[in-house]
Amino acid sequence: MTKSADTHCPYCALQCAMTLTSPAELAPATQPGPVPVTALPAPASPAAAPAAPAALLEVQGRDFPTNRGGLCRKGWTSATLLNHPGRITEPLLKGPDGVHRPISWEHALDLAVSAVKDARARYGADAVGVFGGGGLTNEKAYMLGKFARLALGTSRIDYNGRFCMSSAAAAGMRAFGVDRGLPFPLEALDTASTIMMLGSNVAETMPPFVQHLKGTRDAGGLIVVDPRRSATAAFTSDGGGLHLQPLPGTDLTLLLGISHVVIHENLVDTAFIEERTSGYSAVVRSVNSFWPERVQSLTGVPAELIRETARRLAAGARQGGSYILTGRGVEQHIDGTDTATAAINLSLLLGLPGSARSGYGTLTGQGNGQGGREHGQKADQLPGYRKITDPAARAHVAGVWGVPEELIPGPGLPAVQLLKSLGKPDGVRCLFVHASNIAVASPDANAVIDGLRSLDFLMVCDFFMSETAAEADLILPVLQWAEEEGTLTNLEGRVLRRRRALTPPAGARSELWIMARLAEALDAPSSYSEDPETVFEELRLASAGGLADYSGIDYAMLDRGEAAYWPYPAGSTGTPRLFQDRFAHPDGKAVMTPVTPRRRRTPAANPDPAAKTMTLITGRLLEHYQSGAQTRRVTELLASQPEAQMQIHPAAAEAMGITAGSLVSLANERGEVVCRAELSTAIRPETVFLPFHFPELESANRLTEAATDPVSGMPEFKFNKVWVRPVAVPLSSNVLQTTEAS
Amino acid sequence: MNEQIVIVGFGPVAARLVDELLPAVRAGHARLTVVGEEAEAAYNRVLVADLGVGRTTADALALSDADALAADGVDVRLGVRVRRVDRARQQVLLSDGSTAHYDRLVFATGSRPVIPNLTGINPDPSSPVLPAGVTALRDLRDADVLRQAVDGGKRVVVLGGGVLGLETALAAAEEGATVTVVHNGPHPLGRNIDRGGGAVLAAGLRRCGVRMAGNARSTGVEHNAPDGGFSALLLDDGSAIDGDLLVISCGVRPRTELAEGCGLSTSAGILVDHRLRAHHEPHIFAIGDCAEVLCPDPECAACRNAKGPSGLVGPGWRQAEWLGEYLGLLAAGAVEDADLLPELPAEQPGVIVLKARGMNMAVAGDNSAEPWDEEVLTAGAVNGRPRLQIAQWADPEHGRYVKMTTRGGVLEGLVSVGMPRTAAELVGLFERSAELPADRSLLLRLDGPDGLPGAGAADPQSTVCRCAGVSGAAIQGAVEDGCSTVSEVSKATRAGTGCGGCHEDIKGLIEKHFRAVSTA
Repeated sequence: MTKSADTHCPYCALQCAMTLTSPAELAPATQPGPVPVTALPAPASPAAAPAAPAALLEVQGRDFPTNRGGLCRKGWTSATLLNHPGRITEPLLKGPDGVHRPISWEHALDLAVSAVKDARARYGADAVGVFGGGGLTNEKAYMLGKFARLALGTSRIDYNGRFCMSSAAAAGMRAFGVDRGLPFPLEALDTASTIMMLGSNVAETMPPFVQHLKGTRDAGGLIVVDPRRSATAAFTSDGGGLHLQPLPGTDLTLLLGISHVVIHENLVDTAFIEERTSGYSAVVRSVNSFWPERVQSLTGVPAELIRETARRLAAGARQGGSYILTGRGVEQHIDGTDTATAAINLSLLLGLPGSARSGYGTLTGQGNGQGGREHGQKADQLPGYRKITDPAARAHVAGVWGVPEELIPGPGLPAVQLLKSLGKPDGVRCLFVHASNIAVASPDANAVIDGLRSLDFLMVCDFFMSETAAEADLILPVLQWAEEEGTLTNLEGRVLRRRRALTPPAGARSELWIMARLAEALDAPSSYSEDPETVFEELRLASAGGLADYSGIDYAMLDRGEAAYWPYPAGSTGTPRLFQDRFAHPDGKAVMTPVTPRRRRTPAANPDPAAKTMTLITGRLLEHYQSGAQTRRVTELLASQPEAQMQIHPAAAEAMGITAGSLVSLANERGEVVCRAELSTAIRPETVFLPFHFPELESANRLTEAATDPVSGMPEFKFNKVWVRPVAVPLSSNVLQTTEAS
Repeated sequence: MNEQIVIVGFGPVAARLVDELLPAVRAGHARLTVVGEEAEAAYNRVLVADLGVGRTTADALALSDADALAADGVDVRLGVRVRRVDRARQQVLLSDGSTAHYDRLVFATGSRPVIPNLTGINPDPSSPVLPAGVTALRDLRDADVLRQAVDGGKRVVVLGGGVLGLETALAAAEEGATVTVVHNGPHPLGRNIDRGGGAVLAAGLRRCGVRMAGNARSTGVEHNAPDGGFSALLLDDGSAIDGDLLVISCGVRPRTELAEGCGLSTSAGILVDHRLRAHHEPHIFAIGDCAEVLCPDPECAACRNAKGPSGLVGPGWRQAEWLGEYLGLLAAGAVEDADLLPELPAEQPGVIVLKARGMNMAVAGDNSAEPWDEEVLTAGAVNGRPRLQIAQWADPEHGRYVKMTTRGGVLEGLVSVGMPRTAAELVGLFERSAELPADRSLLLRLDGPDGLPGAGAADPQSTVCRCAGVSGAAIQGAVEDGCSTVSEVSKATRAGTGCGGCHEDIKGLIEKHFRAVSTA
């Protein structure tokens, strides 16, 4: 029997449409197998990964407005994980010897319940914490927020989107009164004259997206801002546009310089500013001291390119349209909110948001990074993008949940603070982790791992032995994307259906089922359905009247293929393009907030005379996704990118005696990474680049700082000082492969 | 604590200090009075020339908003001068007859243009009265005067070959005025640039339509215009340069007379220590153009090479930022924290970047040494200190010139004309004292297309489809196995199934195969 399901890719926020076809219902793998975690394998030995069994499902790209049938390597190979020998298919309990052994579900749930009760009794309800993820479906994200607040009674819930979208989200809320990553359908980019992308490398992170840049590239209008000549920046060569290569950490200054030119060359859309914005003159004063030549000195971007960028954006707005898009490269800073605000201010000066063919947007990263930030996994938020401190919002949600309002706790701690509190007095003692690999993905990862080890109880829901699961007392095996029903909201704010194509392994359970069982055992108020559609129906009610209103959307409509963009109040037809008539602030205007660069803390001095202080930036490779917990288990992807490599300019490498493929150490006051060097002229000479998909000795986040943006709580991922030196190690020895067996 | 802070002067540096102190004012830790002589709140003087040629508006120069500051509780006094500072009583006496008490007083009085000694101009240094048709370029009224000349397509004579003069000349010429720059020495920017760079720069200015009158010594001005205004600048060789407006751009001098009047030590500027405090006067500070950092300690190493105020705004803003934090801590009563605040690091020598649309030039540091000056290069190379190294690139025909003067790989001087990316990179390296790549020519190639890596398409093992990770060899294999269209190749190899950017390359490989087959 051939069975097929129309669904979407499990990975990024582009949510490429795909069709999964199974030739027959094969029995999925059940026994756990070896886990290919890399820690500097010998060069050219990636084939050591275990041979995967034949995939259970065939993947086909499906025509859809976003991906137009295209998939990248990650999508093509996604089905190989369904019956991967390392799949966890039974609850596992860590023994006193540190070894995880299978236990029954009944036993597992009992343990979780008593751990919660124990922590609550000893330290209070806030000693139980929940860490969610932007990969959870809307239904699971919604239920996780409800479960944490009502069943666990804790305020301590946050999620990995704090590391991803929080700065752009905060800036969007501040300026527009609402945060939808792209407030327009992706296809709108097709006919644009000018697109400026800041800190976003879509050619690697979401390749099928690149189709939407073709028209602009052909017109020579693509402007890419990136300290590296990334694959995306390379599109600007041969007449495709401009590449601005600022020093890391100077994006905000660069944006102020471009805005300065817009103002001083009379390129401002004055009618728009007058009618639809407030705060203009304060922004003008704040950018007046950033003239192009000064900005050139601060950023390294030539004044003429700064002027040219401003002119092209203004000209594009008068022609086919201009778009300004930001990504994590400019947002993952301690001034990320201000940087995104500067990008929004620039777009407002030019009148882009709210027009029919121009705009500002942020490119959401994780699969459900959009929906995941709307329905209550955030420490300060209730479903429908409501504020947890807003009495009206609390009353509405309490009504839907059928509980007294005072039962809903107040705001909790944002992710970095939550993780810093692990095991501390008044901190979290018992932690549940869902869809997140915080041991690899969090800033100052060594400190986070110490925190995990100091917990009384750590429960991780995962389908692989991720680096975080390996730390867990209890691991609960959950479903993969092809085994479940649900909805996700893509980077455009369009709600999509995820459909089941396969029967899950016998021992795995949906997180909805797990939460329902735990809530039952904890005598929780309200109800906890394990059926996704029932949960979605409740989410509709809870979101009704909120900023992210889903009340007019149902499964049947999505199954008919209707394009549903929120806000979609019941009785409406949804909102493909926001801001046409008004912004979401009470007076309908967009708010311009003046922002200027702050001084940064002086980093610790380099204690190693043999090492050179350089700037570390981090990012992604095409082959891997997030912490690599999934993609490092795909044989084809691992073979292509088996290990982290530090990208360094040949001139800098030569001065330090570093050669292509030689081992290097990057260290700072937080930790050390040892990996191989890759020489490339695509990077600035004072900067090095590390991908963040790898664990242990190659874990880039051992070096990143847990200092956070005062508005968004975003940590500083993209501007850290490291001390770089070559490492002399006989390559034949195994001294560095200490953790191969973990 | 509720400290009364008074700032004398309301230019760009004072504006920055006010911004930095606002949190303390809002928190009720400090009361702030700002006294500005001009009728307007602070605006950006760097852009006065742009305003003078009609490129921008006065609104777009504003750095502060007096009403907004008043709403925040700042006492803003515009159009008022400080007549006298009474240090004994800790108060300032204003030109409107009022007085203001201070706990901390900050001089941010800036500088004023240097008016050269020319017959026909009364050179009273404290209040120069310039005749009709003669102006400096410092404030909004000066800009108005220039604006009228430029709008009228008049002949403008710029006296002075410094960076402000050149910027004014270029902008005015571009906007339609007939402009002559009169400077001494063989080339403009004589104090900063070397001979080669100066020559290429002068040629570039001429190409932009600016007449250059070098090696000129001016002696006086002639007033034969119908309204009795300026008509010509007279030179010492007896010749005259005719024009309708004379713009004097001969540098600036710190305004120190008020400080001198109350007995503070001054040299070029008001002397302050590394905490920006006036010598022997803990209640008084000075920042920006009027301040000269030179501490009273004769042994201080940091002050050994100290130069007077640079006339650039960047150092002043850094001082304002630092002093804002320092005074904020003092006002909050956190005296220990204020004492622990690290001193402001010494300024690097200033970088001069020409603000102009048609030309690119950056110069910094000492550029006097030439590659063949053995004696100059080895001077100072003692006790293991490396000698100077010079790398130079000259292409005057195409308006390009670069010179890098380094010691131990770190720039001590730089000149870049006509090479924007190189200029931007060198300025950054200079400001960070970062080491240059041993192959200096790398820095020359940033402006050329060969800065990009080779396409690498010729290598069959190289990736054609990045999205799916398919090599040229794999695609060739599929074509040899019978695929003859892009979609067939896509189906067989997944190449071209992501962003679609490689479809042309796949087509090329298919065509190449069939051409080879047909000719075989």
